Order: sequence, then structure tokens, then C-alpha cells
Amino acid sequence: MASNSWQFAGADDESDDDNFNPAPADMSDEENNDNDEETTHNHRPAGKTVRQASSPVPDEEEEEEEHDEEEDARPAKRSRRDHHDDDEDEEQDEEENEEIDEEEEEDEEEEEDEEDEDDVHGGNRRKRRNKDRRAAFFDIEAEVDDEDEGEDEVGDGEEIEDFIDNAHPDDIADSGRLNDDRRHRELDRRREMEASLDAEKQAEILRERYGKRAPARGYGDMAIVPRRLLLPSVEDPSIWAVRCKEGKEREVIFSIMRRIEERMGTKNEVPITAAFERGGINSVMKGYIYVEAQRQNDILVALDGILNVYPRSNMHLVEIKDMPDLLRVIKTPNLEPGAWVRLKKPAKHAGDLAQVIDVTENGLEARVRFIPRLDYGVRDDPVFQADGKRKRPGVPGPRPPQRLFSEAEARKRHPRYLQGNPQTNSWNYNGDDFENGFQVKDIKIQQLEVKNVNPTLEEVTKFASGAEDGTENLDLKALAATLKDSAKSVAYVPGDIIEVYEGEQQGVIGKATNVQGDIVTLQVTEGDLAGRTIDVPNKGLRKRFRIGDHVKVIGGSRFRDEVGMVVKIVDDRVTLLTDQTNTEITVFSKDLREASDIGGQGSLGQYSLLDLVQLDATTVGCIVKVDRESVVVLDQNGDTKQVQPSQITNKLPKRKFAVAADRNGSEIRLDDVVREYGGQQRQGKIIHIHRSYIFLHTTTTNENAGVFVTRANSVTTVAAKGGRNTATAGPDLSAMNPALKRNPTASGKQMPAPRTFGPDRAINQTVVIRRGGYKGLLGIVKDTTDTHARVELHSRGKIITIPKADLSFKDKVTGKTIDINQRGGSRGGFGGGGRGGGEFGSRTPMASGGSDRTPAWGSSRSTARTPAWNRDAGGSRTPAWNDGSRTVNPYDGSRTPYGGATAYGGIGSRTPAWHSGSRTPAPDSFGHGSKTPAWSAGSDSWGSKTPGYGASAPTPGASGDAWGYTPGASGGGNSSSAYDAPTPGGGLSAPTPGAALNAPTPGAYSAPTPAAVSAPTPGAWQGGWGSGGDAVSAPTPGALGAPTPGAPGYADDD
Amino acid sequence: MSENYVAPGQQRYLRACMVCSIVMTYARFRDEGCPNCEDFLHLQGSPDQIDSCTSQVFEGIITIANPQKSWVAKWQRLDGYVKGVYATKVSGQLPDDVRTTLEDDGIQYIPRDGSATEAD
Repeated sequence: MASNSWQFAGADDESDDDNFNPAPADMSDEENNDNDEETTHNHRPAGKTVRQASSPVPDEEEEEEEHDEEEDARPAKRSRRDHHDDDEDEEQDEEENEEIDEEEEEDEEEEEDEEDEDDVHGGNRRKRRNKDRRAAFFDIEAEVDDEDEGEDEVGDGEEIEDFIDNAHPDDIADSGRLNDDRRHRELDRRREMEASLDAEKQAEILRERYGKRAPARGYGDMAIVPRRLLLPSVEDPSIWAVRCKEGKEREVIFSIMRRIEERMGTKNEVPITAAFERGGINSVMKGYIYVEAQRQNDILVALDGILNVYPRSNMHLVEIKDMPDLLRVIKTPNLEPGAWVRLKKPAKHAGDLAQVIDVTENGLEARVRFIPRLDYGVRDDPVFQADGKRKRPGVPGPRPPQRLFSEAEARKRHPRYLQGNPQTNSWNYNGDDFENGFQVKDIKIQQLEVKNVNPTLEEVTKFASGAEDGTENLDLKALAATLKDSAKSVAYVPGDIIEVYEGEQQGVIGKATNVQGDIVTLQVTEGDLAGRTIDVPNKGLRKRFRIGDHVKVIGGSRFRDEVGMVVKIVDDRVTLLTDQTNTEITVFSKDLREASDIGGQGSLGQYSLLDLVQLDATTVGCIVKVDRESVVVLDQNGDTKQVQPSQITNKLPKRKFAVAADRNGSEIRLDDVVREYGGQQRQGKIIHIHRSYIFLHTTTTNENAGVFVTRANSVTTVAAKGGRNTATAGPDLSAMNPALKRNPTASGKQMPAPRTFGPDRAINQTVVIRRGGYKGLLGIVKDTTDTHARVELHSRGKIITIPKADLSFKDKVTGKTIDINQRGGSRGGFGGGGRGGGEFGSRTPMASGGSDRTPAWGSSRSTARTPAWNRDAGGSRTPAWNDGSRTVNPYDGSRTPYGGATAYGGIGSRTPAWHSGSRTPAPDSFGHGSKTPAWSAGSDSWGSKTPGYGASAPTPGASGDAWGYTPGASGGGNSSSAYDAPTPGGGLSAPTPGAALNAPTPGAYSAPTPAAVSAPTPGAWQGGWGSGGDAVSAPTPGALGAPTPGAPGYADDD
Repeated sequence: MSENYVAPGQQRYLRACMVCSIVMTYARFRDEGCPNCEDFLHLQGSPDQIDSCTSQVFEGIITIANPQKSWVAKWQRLDGYVKGVYATKVSGQLPDDVRTTLEDDGIQYIPRDGSATEAD
């Protein structure tokens, strides 16, 4: 580097002298600095220059001396050189070093010469040199010195004409001439030397030699001076803008170039120093060329007669301060893979959208993909057209439509031109490459339109649809929307908080007060400059936000129009949480604005969020997202798709009174809250009902804006408001039903009416009052209404009226709490009592029998029966029981049909079984000791299951025996013919066996439990009952009988 | 005769050197190399090197009649170069290895694609 710096220094010295434009004081400062920086070498050569100038033709010896000196002075250089030669042959080493050094020195000598010649000014120099030649032996030092000084003093202005010749090549030529002889000798020696080296080393040497030299060639001064020191001054030539024909700027410049070269060296040299154009289709400077010259007249001379330029009509002087702007260069942003461009060049594809796949290293060529326009040779007409003229190539006919490449079509006509790989789907057809249907081509960037591409959604969609997987589709479509207007630069609006992140004002934060073009006026709000107003250029600015700010995405990004809250800021990337979807998105701060509105854009044209729209004849959908150019629709099948408004057939108005039925048949309407039955059990509010589909909106998820779709028959209503039960749609019948009111404890829906038949069972019951002022007192119910009872208190002897609900029924004997409504048992006892006509002593057993029975019942009721009943439809139980009890009930007359005809179906079969099988014989058998065998037979049959039972005949057997008895008993017990009708009536003659035969089989089998249950029950209490007369015997066996068969029956059942 | 003149029909073959921004036809680069940068770019007879070190994408043609005197030349840092036709802007980037070479040679490379002006 030593040599370089040395040479730079020399150059600086030169320029010091040469400086025809010494204006700015900075300049000289700069040079001084440079000089200071340089080492002592700087001064040495400078001094030497002077010396050489004083004796322009030094003799050999002197020069040698100088070389020596130089060598000494440049040890660094030498050592480097040595080092470089290290790998060369040892033998040659020395010699080479010598040689190289010599060359080196020569080179430098040359340069010194150059310098010394540069030192002196051009035209003079040549003359002087000649003079020097001739007067080599004259002492002209003084003269030269004078001249030099004079020149320095006189300054550049006068010397300018000569200055032109001060070009390097001339200098070199001169110096060559200067040392002619010596150089010839050197050359010979060198050639010899070089011939002895092999090519590689030669190359090495050459590279070394010229590599060294290069930097000396005018690079030094150029790189060092910063641009602001180069600003034009009044000393510089002026620049005129000259009108020319648009589009011909370049031609004009070349014409000027030609004229300059043609006239060079003649006496009418073109007097301008430079001319340039900044044309271009989009340039604001088109239609002008700019000519730099000292005088306006020079331009007229220079441009006279050149085509397409009009110096005489229109010529402006460019102000000095504007001159740098003429040459301003703005960097074109580099193309990035994935960017969208438009093709300019293949005429067939002009204007087509293309996507950049890759860019070459130097950024001059891009690999792009686009949709081919192929006709697959369909219009490949012969070269000669109908009129016999040769078709002119390059004239585009109607161009084929854009279609993805089809291998099949290509194969049809041009199988020979097609080659490729079906696996990767890449083909070469007619010399063009196709991948995945797209044409892929390397295109120079000047044939691409990079700015203002503005791809439309349709165009980009075509690219997207080419992707193999559908997922990419959406992304690209969204991107399409993004790219719209992306060419717009950042727009700052007064009021924006802006941070300067680049340039001299870096770090300044302020509020924009004014925006004009590229200049933003900032009112500084923070830091040292606070309160000042500064102007800063648009670039290097970015908007500043704080975490928590509510912002809106305004452009550039595919999230445009999203609104959200800033949650994170890294450099100029801002992460925000969107209001609409609660997702985090990251965008550049330049794409954000402080937002005043909440929520994203809610509508696109006539379609707004959550609208129900018709997509096609069979598809409807609910809009779940609104983008700028498209909407996302959730269709009835639960699929989301992105559609453009044009794809929507129409918007379905909200039908306020649309009604659907949920899976329970309940009516559901808009705004009802329903829950999915099964599945995810999502719950939501109905926003649309369309045929059997309902669209629900929930706040628990943000997927699809919380909208989901399901079938109406797979939801159940949850909200009371929505819980319209069709059953209760009319007047509340249960409320109007006095029977229900009378027996509020009965679970209303289970056949209440039959139960309440007859006198209220509460009458004559012993009760304890549970509530109120009489709480705890014991009494007997004397009378009742539907809701109240009149109770005669034991303690006070008075009758009070009290709500039935406040009564607790007690067993008269044991004092246990009983349930009077629940079963026939108690009723039986009761009824028996009733029938007995009062509370007689003799009744007591009855009662006790009843109470005895109660536990039996209790057990069966609580454990076995209940499940048994449950197995059957609930409704049927009561009648069955009732039947049982009713059959023997004196009021049977009207009830029998009830029991028999009941829909309590399932039991239809059981009911007979019940009547006949079990009950009839059982009571009898129990009723009489002698019947026991019959019973046992019956019980056998139980054990052996129904066939035995059914067939059994116990029934006939029993009945055979029994009937003699039973009728008697029954007839005695209650003579009601009603009673006869169902059971004994039939039983008397044939019916019973018939019933027994018929019923048991199905009945016992189908429902062993009830059979089992029924068997004891009637048995037990038929006994109790049937023996209305012989009360004593009945209870006991009844009590015994009941449990026994009951147990196996249940076991069976389980 | 004018050697730097390029007829309109030939102008599509023009290329600009990325180092010095001189504009010449491809053929001239190939035959003569870059008049300013040949020492280190070695464009002569090397189409590959021409491809990577010159660019066919350039704007703003400047004809420099007098590199020493012209302010335009000085501003564009062309004042050490030969007279001829230059470009104000040359798109494209020098290959990294060439850049490295330049640095090693102590040459300060001024990008001609507009990125340098940002720094000033």
C-alpha cells in the first residue's frame, strides 16, 4: 500500500496544481489532511518532482541514484514484493527480484514522469519538452520554476484551453518517448527473462505488475472526496436543459458523442464538456437533454444540426443548486422471489402477470413463472400465407388465451418437441420450460415491469389454483388482495407520531405537522430538540407506536383493514392483536395508523358479517369474514370458502319468524340459545335458520367468527326463553286439571286421573300436621277438597282446615308414616275398612293386615318393583296397579275398561296375566288352607317358569278348587257384579282358565317381573280383600304369600 | 471516425460497466475490455466476466467530452476516466469475488446502482 499512498499523494499534489476549480476551501483542507496523513514518502517524491522538473532529462547515473534512494525509502514495499516471490524458484529469486524491482522502479519512474509532466500544464508541456530536448544542456531551471510559479499564480482560468490535453494516455506516450533508449534495452532484457519463466509465473508476474498499477490510475482521488465537497460552484461549467424529442434522448446523446469525436483535434472542436439525458418512459425529465458547457453559445454550436434536439426553441439554464439533482440516482429495490411482476418482452405475454421464482446474483435476470399462452400448434399455419407472402415474424396474431400447460395437448401435435418428467411435472416443449403447468423462463429485469404491478385477485387466483394442495389457495388469494396498491409509498399524515431511524436526525421523535411530497415536517416532542420543528425526508422515517395503542392496518400488508391493539414492537415490526379474530399479526409500522374505530371492516358492498347468502341453488352460507375483495363464507355443510361478491347469488333476508324444531320437537326460533346434542355440545345463539340447518353464533370460540352450523334436529334448546315446548304451546292443561290439583303429590304426567278416582283416600286417615300453628298435632281427616283437608284434631276436638301438603299420614296403629296415595295396599286396607263400613275391631286386623302388607309392599316397591316398573313405560304402571287394585275395587264397573283397554299397553298382555294367572288362584289358595297345594303348584310353576305356570294349571287346578270357594268369598265379600266381570266372573266358568292359559305364556315370559309381582300382590291382598268376610285368615297368608313368590319373581327378573 | 458512437440499431447491445459505468456495446467490451477497469476486471475476451461485471440495465446516458473539466464527470466520479459515454445509473451488483478483488487492490468501489448515494 505504501506505493499506493505514495501515488495518491502525488496525485493530490497534482490535483493541487491542476485544480481548475479550486473554489471550496474545504477542498484544500481535505488535501492538507491527506498530506498530513501520508508518511514521509509524500514529501520526498514531491520534492523529487520538483527536482525532476528542473532537470527533465536526467542522465542514467542520476536516475540510478534516485532508484537507490527510492528503494531505501520503500522497504515496506520491497519486503512485500519479496514475500510475494517466496514461492518462486530460489535460483531465480534474486534475479527476479532485481528484475522486478527494476521494472517496478521503471513503472514508478514513468509515473513520476507523468506526475512531473502533470505538474506542468498541458500544451506548455509539450512545447517545453521539445525545447528541453533541444536545450538539454542549457540551464533552464530558473525559467521553468518561474513558469511553474507563474502558472500557479495565474490560476486555472486562463489555462483551461490547454487543460484538455492533460490526459493520461498522452502522458504515458510522452514518457515512453522520453526514455526511449533505456526502455528498449529494458524491454529486451525483460523479454528474455520472461521467456525463461513458465507461463504461470509469467501470469503471476503480470498480474502482480498490473494489479499494482491499477490503483494508481485515477482511483485514488476519486474515491476519497466525499460528494458534498463536489457540489458545483460558479467556477464549474453551467448546465442547460435543451428540449428534444421524447424518446430520442439517448440517440441525441450518441449523436453528440459522435460529433465530439469527429471534430476532436480539429479547430472547431465541440466546445461542450458533457451532455446527458435522464429519459425513460416514466421519467419526469424526459423530453430534455442536459448539456454542460461554459457558455450558452457553445451549446448552440455543438448541437447545431443534430436531429431531434431543439436548442434554438427551448433552452433553460439549470441553477447551480439544482445541478446535483439532475444526476440523482434512486436505487431500484431488488426483486425478491415471490414478488409479482408483469412481463414486457415476449410480445405474446406482454402485460401478463408473472411471479418471480429466483433472481440471479447480479440482480439482472429473474426466473419467473407465468401462465403460458400456447395454442399447441393449432394455428401453426404454413409459413406462406394464403396471399403467398411470407408471414412476417414477430407480428403477433391474436394471442392464445392463458391456460396452464397441458401435456396431453402438447403430445397430440408435437410429441417430438415434448420432453420432460411426469413425476416432477416439468416439461420442455418447443424449447420452453414448464413446471406444474406454468411456463418458467429467465427474463432480464428490464423486460419486467416491477413497479405498479397491481395484480388483480383474478390473476393471482389463477396462479393459486395451480398449486397442488388447496391450502395454498387461500394464502395466495389473500396475498393478491395485499398487493393491491402496494406500490403506494408510505403516507404520513399530520398527527402521526414519527421516529427518524436513519440519517443525521436519527432517533428524533416528533409529531408530523405537515407533509409535502417527500418532506415531512416534524414537531419534535422528545430529546434535545424538543419543541423544534424540523423537516426530514420521507425515507428514514417510521411511525412510532406504543404498546397498547389501538391501530389499524392501512396498506401493504395482507392484513389490511384489520384493527387491533399493539402488543409488541420490534424495530419497525409491530405485532397486534386483532379485534375481530383475536389473533396476533405482525406488520410493518408503516402499514399502521392509529385507529379510532373498533373492529374490522364489517361489510363488503351489500354483504356484511354474519349475513346469510345464497351461493348456488343448493348452497347457502353465512359470512364469517369480510376481506377487502372477498368474503369468507361458512356454508351449510360446515365448509368455509372464500368467495368474491360476484359469486354470491343473493343475500337471504333474515326471516324473523323462521321456526324449526329441535330434537325434542321443541320449537326454536332466531336468537334462541341451543346446545348441540352430542358431539362437542357447542352452545350458541341461532342467527339463521335455513331449512333444516341452523347457523349458530357463539362467543366461546373465534373460529369462523364464532359461527358454526348444525342441523336443527341435533340441538336442544337450553334457554328458558327459547324453551317453547310444543306440549305446552296451548293452555296449560295440567293447571286446569282439577284432578291433578287434587293430588299434587302424584307425578302429574303419569295417568293421574284414575288414581284420583273415588273418594279421597285421605279421608279418615290419621294425620300429623307438619307445618303451621298446629304443627305436630295428630288428627283424623274428616273431609277434603282438592287441596285442603279438614282435620279433626285429637287434642282439641275441633276441626280445622289445612292444606293437604301440610299433612303427614300416619298409620293408625303403628304411627308410621304412610303414603296413602301410593298403593292399593293401603287403599285395600283402607278400602276394606271402608267397605267394612267403619272402624271396627274386626277391622283392625284388616288394617294391620294392611300394615303388615305395607312392609312387604314397601320392600317390593322400593327395590324390585320400582325398577320393574321403570322397565316398562312409566305410564303403564299406574294403571296396571290400578287395574290390580281396581279389579277388586267396587267401582270397577267403569274402570275395567280402563284397565283393559288402556294403552298402557306393553302391559296389555300382562294385565290379563295378572288378573287371571296369579291373582285368581293365589287368593284362593291362600284364602283357604286347603288351597295351599294349589298355590304351591303355582309356586312350582313359578320356579319352573312360565310354561309350567302358564300351563299349570295351577290356575285351573286352583280355580277348580278355588272356585267353589272364591265365588263364595267374593260373592260374600262384595257382591258387585262389576267385580265379577273381570276376574271371577270369567273365572266362574271358563274365563279364568282361559285367561290363565292364554295370558301366562306371553305374559309371564315377556314380563316375569310383573307377573311375579302381580302374583303376590293380588294374592296378598285379594286374600285380604276377598276375605272381606273372613278377615282373619286372609291377612296372614297374604302376608306370607306375598313375599314368598315375590322374591323368586324378582330374582328371576334380574 | 467516432468509436464511441453507437447506432440506434445497435443500442440494444449496449452494456454498462458496473465499476466505472462506461457504456459500450458487448462486442467492444469483448474486443477491447473496459477502458478504465480492464486492469482488474479483465473483461477482454471473457464473455463470462462481461456478463457478471457489466449490466445491460442502465439509465441516463452521459457523454463526457472532457472528463477533467466537466462537473458532471466530477460528480459522477468519472474525472479520472477516458472520455466516452457513461451511464448515471447501472443496475446490478458486482459478484462478490470481484468485489473482494477490488478491495484487495485497494480500489474503492462505488456502486453505480444508486445505493452509494444513500450513504452520502
